[in-house]
Amino acid sequence: MNAPVGIVLVSHSAELASGLRLLVEQIGSEDVPVATAGGTDDGRIGTSYDLVLNAIKDADRGGGVVVLPDLGSSVLTARTVLEDHPRPDVTLVDAPFVEGAVAAVVTAASGGDLKTVVDAAKEARNVHKL
Amino acid sequence: MSTNSDSTATTTAGHESDVVLPANLHARPAGQLARAAAEFASTVQLEYAGRTVNPAGVLAVMGLGATAGSTVTVRADGPDAEQAVAALAGILATAE
Repeated sequence: MNAPVGIVLVSHSAELASGLRLLVEQIGSEDVPVATAGGTDDGRIGTSYDLVLNAIKDADRGGGVVVLPDLGSSVLTARTVLEDHPRPDVTLVDAPFVEGAVAAVVTAASGGDLKTVVDAAKEARNVHKL
Repeated sequence: MSTNSDSTATTTAGHESDVVLPANLHARPAGQLARAAAEFASTVQLEYAGRTVNPAGVLAVMGLGATAGSTVTVRADGPDAEQAVAALAGILATAE
């Protein structure tokens, strides 16, 4: 099996990001590298350039990395990191945070490649909960 | 709410199987179904209450809202259809 696609969860809140990681590990797999970048460097609500950069490194196993932001400055910070460190195999994805993460991790656990995982996360927007 | 697998009725006809769910089809079994479906070459479908979804879509499976005691049909078409139906029906029948 190819190297798994890694997932980075970027949130204003460290607890939100780490809680989501626990959830997706239960639904998906603990074999998929999931890294979090939650809160500021000193633990407040906000986002951190360095935490995002480090999380991308942590999640990278050679199969590419999907970066999922929660909203607002998570998007801006992740975008800035990727502009400063452009890589074709690291993709910022516009998806609902929880649903996108679940879909991405399950798809990565099923052996999906980067494009398949990106598409699964994006498609999460169109799947109704009810 | 959960019951043991003795109370589930599973019938297999060709490459299709009806499973009476012992528990609600919630997030964890939905994830297991998606990963299991990826291991087969056959095209697999789940049908519940007139709706058909690809089990590879974990969110779509959860979105079925299938509840304990209701029937889900697993259907597969392809070279390993029988094994695929057995594997997915097994997950459904033992979901807690």
